[in-house]
Amino acid sequence: MFHWKRAAVIATAAALTLAGCSASPSGSGGEGDTLTLGVIQPPNSLSAQNAGWANQSPYTQAVYDSLIQADPDGKLVPHLATEWSYNDDNTVLTMTLRDDVEFTDGSKFTADVAAQNLIRFRDGTSPNASFLVNLADAKAVDDTHLEITLSQADPALTTYLSQNAGQMESAEAFDNADVETNPVGSGPYTLNVDETVAGTSYVYDKNPDYWLPEQQHYEKVIMNFFGDSTSLLNAIQGGQVSVSTTIDNTSLAQITAAGYTLSPVENNWWGLIIGDRDGTISPPIGDPKVRQALNYAFDRDAMLQAFAAGEGTTTTQIFPTSSTSYSDDLDSYYSYDPEKAKELLAEAGYPDGFALTMPSSAGFGASNFAIIQQQLADVGITVTYEDLQVNDYINALIAGTYPVALMALQTDPTDWQVAQFSIDKTANFNGFHTDDPTVQGYISQIQTGDEATAEEAGKALNEYIVEQGWFAPWFRPALNFVSNSTTAMETQVGNSYPYIWNIEPK
Amino acid sequence: MLSFTLRRLVSGVILLFVISSLAYLLLYLGAGNVGRRILGSQASEATVALKNQQLGVDEPLITRYLSWLAHAVTGDFGTSWFTSQPVDQTITSRLAVTISLVIGATILSGVIATVLGVWAARRRGWADRVVQVVSVLGFAIPGFLIAIFLVNVFALGLGWFKPTGYVQIATSFSGWLGSVTLPIVALSIGAIAAIVQQVRGSVIDALRQDWVRTLRSRGLSENRVVFKHVLRNAGGPALAVLAVQFVGLVGGAVIVEQIFAIPGLGQVSVTATSQGDVPVVMGLVVAIGAIVVIVNLLIDLIQGFLNPKARVS
Repeated sequence: MFHWKRAAVIATAAALTLAGCSASPSGSGGEGDTLTLGVIQPPNSLSAQNAGWANQSPYTQAVYDSLIQADPDGKLVPHLATEWSYNDDNTVLTMTLRDDVEFTDGSKFTADVAAQNLIRFRDGTSPNASFLVNLADAKAVDDTHLEITLSQADPALTTYLSQNAGQMESAEAFDNADVETNPVGSGPYTLNVDETVAGTSYVYDKNPDYWLPEQQHYEKVIMNFFGDSTSLLNAIQGGQVSVSTTIDNTSLAQITAAGYTLSPVENNWWGLIIGDRDGTISPPIGDPKVRQALNYAFDRDAMLQAFAAGEGTTTTQIFPTSSTSYSDDLDSYYSYDPEKAKELLAEAGYPDGFALTMPSSAGFGASNFAIIQQQLADVGITVTYEDLQVNDYINALIAGTYPVALMALQTDPTDWQVAQFSIDKTANFNGFHTDDPTVQGYISQIQTGDEATAEEAGKALNEYIVEQGWFAPWFRPALNFVSNSTTAMETQVGNSYPYIWNIEPK
Repeated sequence: MLSFTLRRLVSGVILLFVISSLAYLLLYLGAGNVGRRILGSQASEATVALKNQQLGVDEPLITRYLSWLAHAVTGDFGTSWFTSQPVDQTITSRLAVTISLVIGATILSGVIATVLGVWAARRRGWADRVVQVVSVLGFAIPGFLIAIFLVNVFALGLGWFKPTGYVQIATSFSGWLGSVTLPIVALSIGAIAAIVQQVRGSVIDALRQDWVRTLRSRGLSENRVVFKHVLRNAGGPALAVLAVQFVGLVGGAVIVEQIFAIPGLGQVSVTATSQGDVPVVMGLVVAIGAIVVIVNLLIDLIQGFLNPKARVS
């Protein structure tokens, strides 16, 4: 006879046992000695030579020191380098380095080690290897003096040296078989290889010999990668992360209901890159009036609502608010005015509009392209899409395959970086390599002018490309970082993730 | 039996070779610009070209495939393009996690399906109808919905479990149990639905046989008749279904591991496939293919043990 009552008692006892099994997986939500971070991108490499940045920055920041550090507002401060100065034409940077820093393998940090790291970074396959494209040479004058020679002035160099380009790895680890997965730095933490599951969870232990203990706030730091918004939201609601970035803005109400604080930053802009400014593929796009018409065609408030759930700021400029080139007026230079757009098209010789081929990709949200198509159709521009995989989409933009394309691009902390990334004739996202003498002139002044000249040139450049309709920006989406009630955090200007030393217990 | 086993293993190796070749070809055709995919939009064209050169993706397909095959037969599946970790480490560090989920789900679904199937077959009437309705629901509701439901109710709602993550069994048994309970339950629902029907049907058929009447007439208790004799006869078809379900559970683990952020083969399968991380995907194809071959062989051997008529002479 089957003893149902006995089975029920056993099942109940088992359920109660399991209910008590709530030991924390992969770290706690920050309980004083452990910081758990939610990250949305795993690291491509943990070697200083090939390290990524932005969403990958926490992984290597934990183990490496950089030559320079940046405050949360972007101001550069000494770190491994205690002082630095340029020569008259800004092509030689001389740095004085600390003499009291050792790597965790016992080797000493010297100017020669720094020089080797810089050259390795320039010649490696970091996504940001081009940060040091102007590095002609780096050499040690002596153990504590480093001389960096540039092929041309680079106003963003010192900023780069506060990022992955300036991270210092032990020279004795360069040839390690596991150099890509087992970093050897001098930083506040060391990677716990045994507890780390590559691609999912990275565990760091406090470096007991760190030379700057004021920047160590935890005994252990755990960085958990979340590949989808559901599991990330569950982890946040379950109190399993101290600080996290978010993948989208659709769950903010649930996150705040779980007791987390939101810290929004605007590090990107969304809109159109109107790249064919010489009319090579699409002659109408070569006319500034047509490009201006494109800017008038979009209801930016509606785009912000549709694309980013209303979280962010509408804009018509690509320079960030932290830039001296940013202007409040340029956030609303173009209003939503389809009639004005039609007038401009008529003045340019296209009273009946024209046809335009654009790329589309599911990676940007399939429904978003329908909105673009409709808004342009309302002013007479007929859009036909060619669907691409997201990486082919980016390649196509860089190759100048399409005259106009939707894109979301970062807003870098320095004007030089913005210009090098999106505007300069050699920029990745100037796919048609438009060589406008006015633009190049302003960029040259940013590069070689004194501070006042560079600022004026940046402002003028921003106004010029807005007036000329080089882009049709719509908004800067707010990316929300979240922190729990026991963790204080400061967001970082120009970076997708707060810097690890700016996260600490309350 | 030995020659049967060896023949099955050889055919399994041939099958793995065919599957991996097809997979490699499909991945090659869909590769695109690998360096750009890895480095993202920030990287310069020069850096992307250098990355492609380092990875050897600018070489002809046949060269790349033969190189991969030559290394794979020695157990060297290369290095992940996206995490730089050796593929064999990626797989072995996660294999135990997925196996623990799948074996747990297999055992749980086998036990529950057997209990429910026998109950339905013996009681018939309303019990049979309830089990059939529950079975249909188990088929109809997608696994990811069940997983999300379990998380929302038992983890986020009641707080009985953590919603994400995995605790190694060596770190804490209770922690491990807590981290795998909901995923195993989520995985098991669909499998229970499939197996219970088979068990029910097989037990009903067996109960109608003359030899069952003979056993009863010899004074054996009903429980002894059912659990010692009938189940053994009915177990064969159910085991076959279980074997098929095991393969399905490996696939189901992909969704469950993603939702629960469990560092198993399923999670890395999603990531590697969406990224186009060819070395990892190829390693997974071979590893999972080998698991399926071995499991099917084991099921065949167990079938032979349970039912002498099914043994290979």
